[in-house]
Amino acid sequence: MRGLRSIASRLALWSLLGSALVLTAIGMLLLGHLRQTWLRSAHREGGTLALAAAHGIEAHLARAAEVTRLLARLARTRSELTEQLASDALNANPDLAGILFAWTPDDPAHPPAAPFVDRRPNGSLSRRDLSHDGTRYWEQPWFRTGLDCTDGCWQKPFFSQSRQERLINYSVAIRLAGRSIGIVNADVTLAWLQSVLGPLKRPDGALMFVVDQEGRFLAHDGIARLGLAATPELRQALAMTGDAPGELPAGVDPGVAGRAWLYRAPVAGTGWTLGLLVPQAQLESSLRHLFIRELSLGLLAMLGIAVIILVVTRRTLSPLATLTGRAEHVARGELDFTLPRVRRRDEIGRLTHAFDRMRRQLAHHLEQLTRATREQERLRSELEIAHQIQVALLPSEHYLDARCAMFELHATLRPARAVGGDLYSYFMLDQRHFCLMVGDVSDKGIPAALFMARAITLAKALAPRARHPALLLDQLNRELCQGNESCMFITLLCGVLDTSDGRLVLASAGHEPPILYQRGIGRLIEVTTGPAIGLDEDAGYVEQELAMEAGDTLLMYTDGITEAGAPDGSMFGIERTLASLERMPLPTTPRDFTARLMADVDAFAEGCDQTDDITILALSWHHRSRENAGMLDLTLKTTLEDVFAALERCESALDEAGVAAGTREDVRLVLEELMVNMVHHGHGNPSDGSIRLHLRADEGIVLAELHDDGMAFDPLQAASPTLSGDVADAEEVGGLGIHLVRAMASELAYHHDRDGNHLQLRFIQPDQTESPT
Amino acid sequence: MTLDVRTERPSPDRLVLHLQGRLDANTYLEFDGAARPLLAELPTGATVVLDMAGLEYISSAGLRSVARIRKTTRALDGHTLLLDPQPQVRKVFDIVKAVPVSEVFTSTSELDAYLDRIQKKIIDDTDGGN
Repeated sequence: MRGLRSIASRLALWSLLGSALVLTAIGMLLLGHLRQTWLRSAHREGGTLALAAAHGIEAHLARAAEVTRLLARLARTRSELTEQLASDALNANPDLAGILFAWTPDDPAHPPAAPFVDRRPNGSLSRRDLSHDGTRYWEQPWFRTGLDCTDGCWQKPFFSQSRQERLINYSVAIRLAGRSIGIVNADVTLAWLQSVLGPLKRPDGALMFVVDQEGRFLAHDGIARLGLAATPELRQALAMTGDAPGELPAGVDPGVAGRAWLYRAPVAGTGWTLGLLVPQAQLESSLRHLFIRELSLGLLAMLGIAVIILVVTRRTLSPLATLTGRAEHVARGELDFTLPRVRRRDEIGRLTHAFDRMRRQLAHHLEQLTRATREQERLRSELEIAHQIQVALLPSEHYLDARCAMFELHATLRPARAVGGDLYSYFMLDQRHFCLMVGDVSDKGIPAALFMARAITLAKALAPRARHPALLLDQLNRELCQGNESCMFITLLCGVLDTSDGRLVLASAGHEPPILYQRGIGRLIEVTTGPAIGLDEDAGYVEQELAMEAGDTLLMYTDGITEAGAPDGSMFGIERTLASLERMPLPTTPRDFTARLMADVDAFAEGCDQTDDITILALSWHHRSRENAGMLDLTLKTTLEDVFAALERCESALDEAGVAAGTREDVRLVLEELMVNMVHHGHGNPSDGSIRLHLRADEGIVLAELHDDGMAFDPLQAASPTLSGDVADAEEVGGLGIHLVRAMASELAYHHDRDGNHLQLRFIQPDQTESPT
Repeated sequence: MTLDVRTERPSPDRLVLHLQGRLDANTYLEFDGAARPLLAELPTGATVVLDMAGLEYISSAGLRSVARIRKTTRALDGHTLLLDPQPQVRKVFDIVKAVPVSEVFTSTSELDAYLDRIQKKIIDDTDGGN
């Protein structure tokens, strides 16, 4: 039992309550109506009963009155027989208690006989003569009143001393020759009147009584009240004329509790009134009983209906309970369950079908969602890996020229999504030239990232051969134009820094102009720019040279900086960029530059999502003096004399620079091997060529550069000699020199361009622990 | 600084060349020129000792000269032995593995002991041959 939470119970309860309410309302209306009708009929009955009772009393009284009037006529002529007449009359009429004949005396001293025959309680008759008892009856009021009753009238009740009870008498005047000569009095006891009243019909609980003209009770169902006066309210009600019953308040008669209805009827010929008091409670109790019985029956019927509704609804809605349970299964994600059997195509049936469809659809969607989530998860992890790979494509953020700290670089790249299309890169082209670039691929996200990866790897691969930024852009453009169906392009700013003197050669492919900061003031470097890379295969690029001085910082960036948007739609712009880095305190290191600018852009664009990748690269030129490093710069002809003279100068220069003897010998050996090689094999005519030798010693490291205009020869690529352990084994001894070069030099770089062969060599003294970059 | 070569013939089948200075592309011709007539006179089974105590420097050109001497002695069924090469020179020899380690000696006494053993071996062989 689910109590009131079940619809069936609620439905049954509410229909029961509703029906009960309606029934009660109708019942109250009905009760009012019924009460009116009931009262009317009760009043009619009460009036009829009162009238009938009055008639019954009248009949009894009329007989006594008839006898008395007859005696009065007889006494007119037979005055001497009056006593006999009285005895006979008493014997014949048990209703009468006594008869008196009294005469108006002609001489009050000798009144005539006034016989009075009286019925004793034991039934025998007694006789006496009132004329001699000294009461002087002719002077009594009852006698005088009686003389006026020519047609007979009822006197007031009085208390008889002789009988010790209350009596009333009916007096008829004896007339002779138009004059009243005496009266006949017939006594009737009130007990008799009472006995007349007794058997009369009346409703249960009703009170019947008779009052005289003065409102005294002549008869009353409560005997104790005989002879007493009625209450004024009762008298007033009795005095009212008309047939309407009188409604009396409580306390009008001790015999009746509460409010009561009074029905009255005059007793004809007496001036008396008969009253019937019916208590209101009595009148209504039967009505109430009837009503309560009907109401109980109605409620019982309602209860029955409620039970039927309960049973029917529960039975009808039972599939709903099952569906509710199944819905909780669905909420838990369990979709495999049985549904209630569909019995008919009503709302429940349709709901069950819909539920089944919903379950299937839901299962389908869940499966799809799981698949999609898995797919998304996979994609996300792939993106994460892609991000790591892309980061790995970029060199580290900070670069300090480790050899002589001539320049320092700091770069920051922040993609708008996991992967982006911005790029920066830098690397040493050779011992002297440092290549750096910043680029921005059109579009964002994965396609841009792939294009960026292609561009950055290509650039790094092409740069050592191209050596010049314009050439690099040119080659990169040609490579990237191939198969570029999606017409993606990249803007690129590329520079090559000569680390020996700070000359920076720049070439731009549609990229933002760099900013040069000198002594705290930034200015845009207008680089003549070619088209963006990847669009036009025949595009050409021009170079521009910039001489950096000590303390200068060059800032390269992408449009993620200038086009960073604020919530109000404005863009960061180039003025803000310039101002950001001219603000005090002036940034000193490249890291300060990138951090300051990034922070300002972030503050500007606060509240907006980053829409484009952001890249900043700052290059600071420190310029350490060359003189301190023991420089040697020689140009010599390709003859052995020149070579050995140069070797001598090298040795003495290194000696002066404090380079250890072992290293000195190594340097000499390597230089000799290389230069002798150049003399012997570089040119058709040995003495035509020239060799440029550049030597520098710095903090235990010896750097040597050899440039010659002879035939291309890469000592790194030369075949290694077969080392059998005995030089005498080989038929033709060769390649030993190059082998020595490779073994002795700590680092060796070679490239060849239109100017000839370029070799960079690096020697680290044995006691130095610095690792090569 | 150039190369200075001093020749010594302690016995007919032994040639000692004392090298002083640098043996490089500039001096090897001079060295070759000095050594060639001496080598030509050597009998079968002769031993050439290159005393390198005074040699400061050797380059691949010098190595080639040493190789030529070794080839000559080998053709004569003899030996070319190195005596007391300085660290820098020793390093070059090590890098190119120019000479078997057993034929490099750090002192004259070590060299003499080795030569005595060879001498004895030859005599033994001769005796065995009889």
